[in-house]
Amino acid sequence: MPSLSYQERSLYGELLADLAVFVPYFILIHSGHPSISFIAGSITILILAQIILQSIIAIATRNRLKDERDRLIALRGYRSGYFTVVSLMLVGMALLWVHSMHDELNAGHMGLHFLSVFFAVLMLAEVVKTVAQLIAYRRPL
Amino acid sequence: MPRIRNTIRELRAVREMTQQQLADRIDLTRQTVIAIEGDKYSPSLETAFRIAQVFGVPLEQVFQYEGKGKR
Repeated sequence: MPSLSYQERSLYGELLADLAVFVPYFILIHSGHPSISFIAGSITILILAQIILQSIIAIATRNRLKDERDRLIALRGYRSGYFTVVSLMLVGMALLWVHSMHDELNAGHMGLHFLSVFFAVLMLAEVVKTVAQLIAYRRPL
Repeated sequence: MPRIRNTIRELRAVREMTQQQLADRIDLTRQTVIAIEGDKYSPSLETAFRIAQVFGVPLEQVFQYEGKGKR
């Protein structure tokens, strides 16, 4: 296993925090109705987990240099994340249209539904972005 | 896969320079130097010139372009 750069360690930390929050969130959200406090709590835990993990990685790494290859890989990751957001948004809009055609939408839960869907889309895009970057570090550019 | 080959490993060996020392002189990470040496990353033109400058040789002595169909 080759030594990891600061950027790679940081990405693994990011992925760990994302999965640690998103997997329980995804399981719990499917076992009941989402609430604003649950989604807000998940976002807060995610931010705190990221801060703690990134701080530990930064303290444990002496050389925190970011070079041209790191920047190129970051761009590739953001491109993958962007395509994920766009694709999932299109799927979401199509589903919304299908539900509206069958009068299945409850106006009272609409806001909450959108909030949980947006959070899920952002989390999935974040995971895809991070995984794409980690793969790029191991493949020829 | 980049078609640009390089002789960085050989040039380093002659000068008894480590990957970290080269990385420090051109503001790259050691992982990027490893990727360049292994032909897994083609550096920017500016970085290529800086590498040649560190070794004190012309650019074409460090990097060689291999056209399509030669690999």
